[in-house]
Amino acid sequence: MSTVQRINFELISDVIPIVRRDFQLADTTLVDPLNANVLIDGEWMIVNDSYKLVRATDITTPGAKALNGTKRVRSFPLFAERGRTDVQALRKAIILFGGWFEAETRIFDAAAKTSGAPETQYPAITYVGQPLQVATITLGTRSLSGLVGANVDEFTSNIPFIVGWVTRLPTNNGGKLRFRCEPCR
Amino acid sequence: MSVPARIINDMFSQKLSSAEGKEKLAEFGGTYIRDRLREVSFARKIVPPEQVTRADCQVSTMHDTLVKIVQLEPKSRAMAISFRGQPTARYIRAPRMEVAFFTITSEQFQKTEQELLAYDMPITKIIEENSVKDIQEVEDREWLIHTEAACQAMQYEANGNTYKELSASAIQAGNVVEFSIRKGELARAATTNDATVRPIQRPDFVNLFKMLDGRRLRAELALITEVDWDDVMQWTVEDFGDRLQSETAVDGYKYNTLLGRAYVRTVKTDILRPGNVYCFTKPEFFGRFFVLNNTKFYIDKVANLITFQAWEDIGMCIANVASVKKLELYSANANPNAGDQTYLSNFIPVEEDALGALNNRVDQGIRFPVVTQY
Repeated sequence: MSTVQRINFELISDVIPIVRRDFQLADTTLVDPLNANVLIDGEWMIVNDSYKLVRATDITTPGAKALNGTKRVRSFPLFAERGRTDVQALRKAIILFGGWFEAETRIFDAAAKTSGAPETQYPAITYVGQPLQVATITLGTRSLSGLVGANVDEFTSNIPFIVGWVTRLPTNNGGKLRFRCEPCR
Repeated sequence: MSVPARIINDMFSQKLSSAEGKEKLAEFGGTYIRDRLREVSFARKIVPPEQVTRADCQVSTMHDTLVKIVQLEPKSRAMAISFRGQPTARYIRAPRMEVAFFTITSEQFQKTEQELLAYDMPITKIIEENSVKDIQEVEDREWLIHTEAACQAMQYEANGNTYKELSASAIQAGNVVEFSIRKGELARAATTNDATVRPIQRPDFVNLFKMLDGRRLRAELALITEVDWDDVMQWTVEDFGDRLQSETAVDGYKYNTLLGRAYVRTVKTDILRPGNVYCFTKPEFFGRFFVLNNTKFYIDKVANLITFQAWEDIGMCIANVASVKKLELYSANANPNAGDQTYLSNFIPVEEDALGALNNRVDQGIRFPVVTQY
């Protein structure tokens, strides 16, 4: 299992072509580094109907997928470390909003989740080129919106929203998952 | 002699073709922007900005942002004692707070040099001015949001650590304490809670100043919209006296102080909404405004595409939340944390991306007379 560390998300590809966008947070308390549910770099966010950022998944439900209401939607990785003072002052957080990139993250669950409701299940991350989706994961005592595996076999039902593909497995990368993110699935 | 705007645009795109030209244009743009920004931001008139450098700031071991630590006055008191007595002790400490720095930037303006030729106006100059306006508006908006938060924090404390609606009906029912925010004389007497902004009265100013003056502070400066200021022009001879009334009727109010206090008027009614008047102490009792990097101007031309961007790095804080008070000239509630929120959007700054909305409707085809070139 991955662990949350000081730096949890690092770009491997060039930052310049990526559209980095600051959005107001719907819940501004999530920028407080002392908040038990503080946002961690590498977590995944969605833009809600008020054009504000919310955590992509319901972190009270393990395995919950990225939803806007009841609809599966595109989510974006948070590009701001826990406790950044500019983020706290502005109550805005930065996401990687557009363009492709390759990055390494610690906010993932490589194990399969086979229990619970079908829509909360996901397969293990096992091969390079495997599609990735966003779900509520548990790392230590924290519940986070992170990357989990997906399989093309699932596309007939319970369709995952693919946000990227594995480019290097964590077992071969110091415990970090390297992936490539595309603008859309 | 005035130079035709088209020639300026043409020279501008030619300059961008050389490295030296780019440098000169960026230098010119940077200087120009800094001057305008100081003139027009009301936040900078309330708390004059201080230039700081990297050496004045602290960093974190957890991330790459900067803060400047501001120290507050330590607590102390004196006491009367007998000849045999001794004073109580105080182990000295002074509170500190961090001021975070962040960037305010213009949009990244882009235009091809060919399309630039289509403009008869000096569009490059206008873009520079727009950059300044955009930055200054966001600066003021951030400042005002912090100011309002300070007022609400003191209201919360004064009402027994509960958020309470502050409206005419709540005041008349005795449900709320007006500690750092009070309603105007006409608003508090209203029979309904509504968004109508009542004209400001002379007692409103006096009562606003008294909220600070009565707490070992002194009201030094009021921030008011031009709209509300216009109501001062409606004051009668009983308010102004004969001489001022005569002067005001001809020239308007020409003095730098009103009732002995300075004031700052603003036309930015989408940020400071009409009906809200704030009163501040001197900056040394109130807060700080730091500039880490003055406005920088980036300009570049890649092939035929010209790109502009301006930005600054600043930090601001309200260290002493008791040093600002607010007057509300409407009867409805404006507390975002409690009570009826029906009219709240009338009283708070508009969203950042809604700032600077156009007044003209030319792009929608609304102009008179409508003439179609054929």
